[in-house]
Amino acid sequence: MTADIFLAGAGQTAFGEHWDRGLRELMDEAVDRAIAASPCTALDIDFVIVANMLAEFANAQAHLGAMAASLLPHRPPAIRVEAACASGAVALHTACALLESGRCETVLVIGVEKMTDADPGVIATGLMGAADTERDVPVGMTFPGIFGMIALRYMHEYGLSREDLSLVSACHHDNAMENPFAQFHRRITREAVSGSTMVADPLRLLDCSPISDGAAACILSTKHRSPTRIAASQIATDTLSITERDCLTSFPATREAARRAWKEAGIRPEDISHIETHDCFSIAAVINLEDLGFAAPGKGIGLYKMANPPVTVNGSGGLKACGHPVAATGVKQICDTAKQLAASGNRYGLAHNFGGIAATSCIHILDHGNS
Amino acid sequence: MLSRSAIIGFGMYLPAKRIRAAEIAAHWRQDPLTVRKGLGIEEKTVPDRGEDSFTFACEAGRQAISLSGIQSSEISACFVGSESHPYAVKPTSGMVAAALTLHPFCHCADLEFACKAGTAAIQIIDAFVRSKQIRYGLAIGADTAQAKPGDALEYTAAAGAAAFLLGPENAKNALCRIDATLSFTTDTPDFWRPAGQQHPSHAGRFTGEPAYFRHVREALKGMLAIGKYEPKDIDHVVLHMPNAKFPARIAGEFGFTAEQMRLGLIVECIGNTYSACSPIGLAHVLQHAGKGDTILLVSYGSGAGSDAFLMTMLKNGVKLPADKRKPQYLTYAEYWQLARQRH
Amino acid sequence: MAIPDTAPIVYRTHRRLQHKMQAGTILSLTTIVHPPTGFGVKPRSVGLIRLDDGSRICGQLILPDPHADSRALIGCRVQPCLRLHRVNEQGLRIYDVAYDVLSGVRDADAPFPGYILALTGPSGVGKTTISEALTRIASQYAERVPIVTTRVPAASDNEEYVHVTDGEFHAMETAGKLAAITQIASTAEDRRYGYRSADIERIWQERKIPVVVTEMHLLQGLAARYGRRAILSCGLLPPGRSRRMMLSCLLHRLRTRGRDSAESIADRMKNAEGDLALLHSRGELFDHMIVNDDLDTVVSTLQGHMMELQKI
Repeated sequence: MTADIFLAGAGQTAFGEHWDRGLRELMDEAVDRAIAASPCTALDIDFVIVANMLAEFANAQAHLGAMAASLLPHRPPAIRVEAACASGAVALHTACALLESGRCETVLVIGVEKMTDADPGVIATGLMGAADTERDVPVGMTFPGIFGMIALRYMHEYGLSREDLSLVSACHHDNAMENPFAQFHRRITREAVSGSTMVADPLRLLDCSPISDGAAACILSTKHRSPTRIAASQIATDTLSITERDCLTSFPATREAARRAWKEAGIRPEDISHIETHDCFSIAAVINLEDLGFAAPGKGIGLYKMANPPVTVNGSGGLKACGHPVAATGVKQICDTAKQLAASGNRYGLAHNFGGIAATSCIHILDHGNS
Repeated sequence: MLSRSAIIGFGMYLPAKRIRAAEIAAHWRQDPLTVRKGLGIEEKTVPDRGEDSFTFACEAGRQAISLSGIQSSEISACFVGSESHPYAVKPTSGMVAAALTLHPFCHCADLEFACKAGTAAIQIIDAFVRSKQIRYGLAIGADTAQAKPGDALEYTAAAGAAAFLLGPENAKNALCRIDATLSFTTDTPDFWRPAGQQHPSHAGRFTGEPAYFRHVREALKGMLAIGKYEPKDIDHVVLHMPNAKFPARIAGEFGFTAEQMRLGLIVECIGNTYSACSPIGLAHVLQHAGKGDTILLVSYGSGAGSDAFLMTMLKNGVKLPADKRKPQYLTYAEYWQLARQRH
Repeated sequence: MAIPDTAPIVYRTHRRLQHKMQAGTILSLTTIVHPPTGFGVKPRSVGLIRLDDGSRICGQLILPDPHADSRALIGCRVQPCLRLHRVNEQGLRIYDVAYDVLSGVRDADAPFPGYILALTGPSGVGKTTISEALTRIASQYAERVPIVTTRVPAASDNEEYVHVTDGEFHAMETAGKLAAITQIASTAEDRRYGYRSADIERIWQERKIPVVVTEMHLLQGLAARYGRRAILSCGLLPPGRSRRMMLSCLLHRLRTRGRDSAESIADRMKNAEGDLALLHSRGELFDHMIVNDDLDTVVSTLQGHMMELQKI
């Protein structure tokens, strides 16, 4: 980081099925909350970045930058970015670049997704845009199918059992009981996960994050200081198609982004107290913990088995229990990491957001040491 | 005299799914024994979802090219005969030539002559090779025959393909030389299908004497005369097999023995694969015949006509690779589901 | 919105079918209980398959037993079968390759053999000149593979060819000693050409890259024998903006090099037209297309490509 970038404010809508609200209303609510939680007024915002993946496909709406700019009285310059499920973190990364360059002093980042207006079948097809249309889609693949193959291979290589994998969603649901913005507020047992309907062998319904509406917003500023600073913002990429991966049980882009993030922040994994990681499917959480350096290969599930793990994982409930309005997730992870740091008084938190099969993988490290 | 052509590679493809004649009979509450005695057919092949004459032709063609040992890019003609080409307009032969990566400068066209379209393809490729317009050419007969549920043809209308790769008679891998061929043709309305209609119509007993028997008999007589052969001189006889009875009757007329007919009579366990019928019989002979054996093949296509061939084995027969899949027997409900969903 | 399946898309899909018609091994698989729109209602088994040439694809699996334990099928062999996948709204048929799972047939990992540099192009484009220069300059890591042929030796041949009789060639062929074979008809005689596997494998043992001067059939043969991935395939083109200009350049070179009779030149020019057409239509057989305008440039380009291979 060549400048001190502070998280001046953050806010989100609840995630879930919002039949009464469209894209505009969702963004409006999140932006209102973020501004209210910050020392800024609307007029302090120099630039708006909207993260969104599916609006053209599911809502017939492109040009979300213009829509978001109109939510503020002075209609500042605005753009939209997309990197499938990593759109949120990529928007944050873009904001950091604008702030480091000095072009802007205060940037509003909004992640928004409205998924419940369209048929689930249509949404499933749209989500496959995150994979390779020529190499993955024509055979009838879905994202649960892709991660199903990854889960099966992981079980084959490391002997992970179905019962152990079910721990992941059970833990996430437990964590979400404390989160008023989560989509689900109910505990689920490991047996319920193992016994839920099969979606794509071996992944079951309760292994998969849901379809959700929602928005989250962050205000990043070099001018308005706060206790929380962005210590690192890194993106790495990998092949789009699963057919071009040499390994199905680890994501090189996550490892690369993490390596650069430790260097940028000047810290090590041991320094992290809270992780919000991208559990689009339960198996992803297990693999992520290994790629981020918190567990050895094949041992990721261990963190879910510990009574007192050295880091909290998805204290918010993660994608599974909070919901996953695709592009809102990366921004919401920052909101939640900052909340957890403020509540615990610990210094460093990490947000990990990826798109597709971690074809774009992003790491943000927050430093809450600036009180 | 023009030099002759020879079969240098051959292949065949049958779908893995089957249905027994007894199963069909049980559904229509007919006596299975009567049916089997009348037609002489035990079971027939059924195309799986997603199989059609094009996929069959490719599999058989691929096997023929592999057996021959030549590169696909050395082949410059492909003719496909079928009554069930996937499109009314868009040639199966062009799709096969592209899928098998034949030389792009390739003569291609589709043929229709009821059940003799496959052997008509062989005649055309034979002529191209003999005239030296091409060196290697592929002739394929492929069909997914359709029969109206409840019609007698339902017991026999089957699916399959056979492919023959022809080259010059002096080619290193020449297996079986085509010595002579002739065709006998008339206009006889025994079996037909108007454009756009899904199932064919046929003329009952009229399909016997004035149709099948007359044409096969004339072509057979003519072929024996040209080759100056007596029936006893032929080692293997392959006839078109709409059922097991018709070829048996012709054999009786000409005095062909069971041993002469044995290798080529394959309808009992496969059914009538229409344009692939006598070609698949030939493929069986080519696997088991001995060097120097003579082969007489007479096909029959409704409408009507017969193609006849005299061939000589230049080497001992070559076995095709064993099918690694096991046959799957369907219930009538499963069979009807597949037939209903076919495109 | 459905999956895009207009005619140009179907055309491109079908061009890739040939490559997918290979046997392979299952790396992982799943059964999608609710396939996406347009793929029917029944659960669909798909796999990530490593084809025998080393490339990977996603393909539909045909399981002999739908209730089989998926984990047990990892590592099983599959064989390809062509299938009608579906019919688009305009009645265009879309074909794809599905894979029959041969449960009980497992795979031991085959080691990668090594790379071969293949130079293909029409007669007169300069393949021999280039391969001579390349293997002279880069002799530490490149060596030419001699072509075995039944053709009568000509005065202009140098060590490019190994001349054998028809009988000797046939014996090598039957004994499986030839990595690739072709027959080239000409007005004078029928000639056979091939490469000895022993020649190629010896060069690999010496940690060098075999360089072959080849044509379409031999190239296909090498790809079939060692896997497409093992071949660094370069198509050589004569300079010229149009095909007519390219052909006249070739004609000029053939005449100037003085090696061939007028009849032979006529033969070669006829083949050249076909060769140029094939270079264009069989793009998937070539990794690079190089215009041979200046010998030094071409040789250093090829050296560059070979260095990349050495790094792997």
